[in-house]
Amino acid sequence: MFTQENLILQRPEPSGNGGVQFLYEVKGYGILAINPPMEEISQLHWEVDVIKFTDVDKYKFEVCHTTELANKTLVFYNDKTFNEFLLKAFDYFKELDKLEKML
Amino acid sequence: MSDSKLYIKEMPADWVPGRDKQKVVSPEYMFHEAPREQVFITGSEAAREAIRRSNVDIAISYPITPQSETMQQAGYLYDEGYIGEYYRAEEEIGTMSAIGGSSRAGIRSLTATSGPGLMRGMEAISSWPGARTPLVLLNMCRVINTPLAIQPDNIEMSFLINSGLIMLHGENQQDFYDYTMAAFMISEQVDVTLPVSVSVDGFFVTHARGNVKMQADDLKLPPRDGWRSAVPAMDNENPPARISRDAPIQKSNFISYHMHASWQQEVFAATERAKKYINNYLGGIVEIINPDADVMLIASGAAVSQSREAVRQSSELGIKVGLIKVKAIRPFPKAELREACKNVKQILVPEFNQLGWLHKEVCSNLFGFTDAQIAPGPRVYGGMTMPTEMILEWLEEGRKDKPWFFQDPF
Repeated sequence: MFTQENLILQRPEPSGNGGVQFLYEVKGYGILAINPPMEEISQLHWEVDVIKFTDVDKYKFEVCHTTELANKTLVFYNDKTFNEFLLKAFDYFKELDKLEKML
Repeated sequence: MSDSKLYIKEMPADWVPGRDKQKVVSPEYMFHEAPREQVFITGSEAAREAIRRSNVDIAISYPITPQSETMQQAGYLYDEGYIGEYYRAEEEIGTMSAIGGSSRAGIRSLTATSGPGLMRGMEAISSWPGARTPLVLLNMCRVINTPLAIQPDNIEMSFLINSGLIMLHGENQQDFYDYTMAAFMISEQVDVTLPVSVSVDGFFVTHARGNVKMQADDLKLPPRDGWRSAVPAMDNENPPARISRDAPIQKSNFISYHMHASWQQEVFAATERAKKYINNYLGGIVEIINPDADVMLIASGAAVSQSREAVRQSSELGIKVGLIKVKAIRPFPKAELREACKNVKQILVPEFNQLGWLHKEVCSNLFGFTDAQIAPGPRVYGGMTMPTEMILEWLEEGRKDKPWFFQDPF
């Protein structure tokens, strides 16, 4: 299992393609993760984007490919590596928040 | 031929079948009291875990997408000793006939299929209720129409609706797990004694991962008692066993019309009697969100998930929309729907099929009991997805004064 810390919303994937969408938030940034349906169990994977919230309360956000964490949609093939990335991202967002406040 | 050998796996001398290491608990404890742990697994894996805890004596199936993976998982359970017997039948008529026979023999029986497989097995399937065979059919829905496709579409459920089966329709992986276990217990109640189908929308549920809260795997449901039944099980230890009912119910291939009519009435009455067990084991035959809303979505299966998100997004816009999740198609929750919709002004019925079988069920059961306008959709089919936006657009159209919006185009 992966961390439920900072998880603010889990919902059916809104586009209707199937799977559960997970939304994590830390200091205005976040992680959007989906584990989409696959033809074989062995093909299951996480598709993960870094996002920046425009309205946290209404879960409005934009995909953010300009951080040092990721410049594209990332793929993780198991829960362990996905979870490691989440924990790393949470720390990174906290640091980013500090840096942005210094500017 | 000379090189072919029958492969029989030899187990170590100290091997103990998995089911012999489990502890039997009551359905009440299993469903309502046993601690649960959350995992993130596919619907196929959720079904496997339900089967593991269901004390299944025999499973028979023939592979078809998207059912194959679930029954492959069931094969692992057989290897571990959680299923007593398991084999791949020759095709679906053979599958459905054989599993009907095993149920008549008084043992807990499981099969599974999808779309065209269900169609092929329909002759045998439609004989189960009249024969009063408690068993569970897992049905992972897919397109049945030509041109050939393997995409999700649940029109096949319309063919089961008046067959006499009890029909549950799961929304997600958690439902597939819970409904499967409950189905065995509902099926084998003396005043029910009927087959139960557990349908889910293929791929969206079977091949995607979701959160499932499961009881410990060292627990299992009580075994089937073949003699605790509305009709006696066949006594296979004292052949010949009679498949037909005793005279005067049936004599050879003859049965009087009034006897057959009353037999059918009893089958459908038994379906209705299953409702109290569905309410008990599944926490209600319907789930209602925002019961005081003027606009209500009524949905079953994966359409519920998309509707949930539409309800949530509507609330962000300051619009209250209600949702009724229909868990069972047979028995249909008509009393519950009539009560829930008596003051509703508009109803939308999102569905994953062209026919709109749920819309027709809703219309026929609410006729005369509500003044609500009932819109025939939104519907997607043939493998189309149902974006939340689509439901939101239909809700917005419903707020405009357009009489044609509520007319069924088909």
